[in-house]
Amino acid sequence: MHEESPTELLLLTENAELRTRLEGAEETLRAIRNGEVDAFVIESAAGPRVYTLQGVDAASNRLRGEILAQVSDAVIAIDGQQRVTYANAAAERQYGIGASWALGQLLSKVYETQWLPGAKAAAETALHERGEWRGENIHVRLDGRKLHVESSVTVLRETVDQSAGVLAVIRDISGRKEVEDKVRVSEIRYRRIFEAAQDGVLLLDPDTCRITDANPFMTELLGYSHDQLVGKELFEIGLLKDEGASLKMLQKLKTEHQVRYENLPLKSQRGRHQEVEVVANLYDENGRAVIQCNIRDITERKRVEEHNKMLMAEVNHRSMNLLAVVQAVAQQTARVGDPITFVGRLFDRIDGLAASQDLLVKNEWLGVDVADLVEVQLAHFKDLIGTRVLLDGGLPARLTPAAAQGIGMALHELATNAGKYGALSNSEGRVQISWTVSAGNKPTFLMSWLEHGGPKVAPPTRKGFGQMVIGRMVEAAVDGTAEIDYRESGFSWKLSAPFAAALQ
Amino acid sequence: MDKHQQARILIVEDEPMIAFTLQDLLVEAGFKVTCVAAKLEKALALIESAGCDAAIVDANLAGVSASPAAAALAARGLPFIVLSGYSPEQLQGAFPAAVFMKKPSRPAKIIQALKSIVYKQ
Repeated sequence: MHEESPTELLLLTENAELRTRLEGAEETLRAIRNGEVDAFVIESAAGPRVYTLQGVDAASNRLRGEILAQVSDAVIAIDGQQRVTYANAAAERQYGIGASWALGQLLSKVYETQWLPGAKAAAETALHERGEWRGENIHVRLDGRKLHVESSVTVLRETVDQSAGVLAVIRDISGRKEVEDKVRVSEIRYRRIFEAAQDGVLLLDPDTCRITDANPFMTELLGYSHDQLVGKELFEIGLLKDEGASLKMLQKLKTEHQVRYENLPLKSQRGRHQEVEVVANLYDENGRAVIQCNIRDITERKRVEEHNKMLMAEVNHRSMNLLAVVQAVAQQTARVGDPITFVGRLFDRIDGLAASQDLLVKNEWLGVDVADLVEVQLAHFKDLIGTRVLLDGGLPARLTPAAAQGIGMALHELATNAGKYGALSNSEGRVQISWTVSAGNKPTFLMSWLEHGGPKVAPPTRKGFGQMVIGRMVEAAVDGTAEIDYRESGFSWKLSAPFAAALQ
Repeated sequence: MDKHQQARILIVEDEPMIAFTLQDLLVEAGFKVTCVAAKLEKALALIESAGCDAAIVDANLAGVSASPAAAALAARGLPFIVLSGYSPEQLQGAFPAAVFMKKPSRPAKIIQALKSIVYKQ
């Protein structure tokens, strides 16, 4: 043995003294646990204090048992081998077990513990170092039901180093968690609506009239950042003209709870002028008042409204014009024939106008393909197309709306005449319809209607409506000339018009 | 104008069916139709050459406003009727000093209106 230094000697003495005191303390604890002590006195700065201990007699034990049984939290004690040594009435209810069955069972038979990430290691460390742990985890009952619990666990020490087990007070917080979860889901959901809304939303504090929150659409609309918006008053961002207007809105909100401005001119940070619609509501949020302003950019809506108004006016103008055309056709048709013939002819001509009109609308008034126009105006003879009515359009040609209307009417009259007196009035006559564009300095649209094999042709004795339509009317419509020939071998009609006047 | 004189009328109308029917109508009523103009330039030229005593003007000539023709007629003190599918409100005062008639109008009414502006009946 080597010689001890004075320091080591001092430590050894101190150690020996501590050991004696520890043994004394353990003896005291053992005596208390065994019920050998009724009370003890502790010297404190305030003088001696007497602590009385409840006896561990049968009566006292019963009292403790009663208390634990009444506690609403589950209380479970286990020994060093993880076997249940105590479970109160609340534990029986919480885990759906009977205490008599549970006693002596391994704790893992009563419920399975699922730890939250990192919690297990933290709990073990805390129990080892401080002898207690408090935290949340999940207990799965025997029937599979999951409980979200908050546990308070204390190590029960038989002696200083020997772990004798733990006592756990376990509170079922599933209900609270469920509510918290719902609140969180709700918050995410409504936050997302707020963030994604295609309307500007501003929240204001009614006491200060200042903005407390603004959604991204609002910052986009005004060109201010969120930080720039928060803390400002409405007139400062150009939404209301001055402080007076702001106060007026607030007054109205307090009495009516809602204020609506249909058309507010708004100038954004970038100087863009917009029309907005503002609806402000005064709401109660859990006892606290808040103003919510919804701001809708109605610039586009206004534009569409104007456009629709213009379109409606145009539709009206065109229908009035078409009615005037029908009126003129009726007047012209009425010049010859008896009433029954008149009605038949008029209806035929109205059918022709309707067919052309239909094509124009289908083509959004952007012009009509010649082939389509021929097809609808020769609807009566559609079975003959390809056999006795031959179409020869070298290339697709789109007529202007005015040309389509004029040529449409002319085709209608040509077809009617061919059916009544011309090549389509017998069983072998033919009609050749051709159109093309001549090249050259002045491109010209050429269209012809040539009849062969019909009855012998004679020129009409008087100038009727049909002559007018296939003559000067169509000429005026396409700014061109129509050549009409009543040759004995077959009628022919040739139209030529400046490209620009007839085609798109 | 003396009612025994034959008034010379200019028709400014881009829809040929309407224009020719109107022409027939006026001729039957004893007027002389000196020109049927589908385009503004043609109408203006006729007015400039003092080729008419009165006019019937369609407000819209294939998308072109006929208001210069109306202005030229007014400048020469010539009476005219505006005949249009648009309402006077839609034309927004582009045709002052005009007698306005909505399309479609009854032929008899058109003749009556024309006589009243030409002969101040």
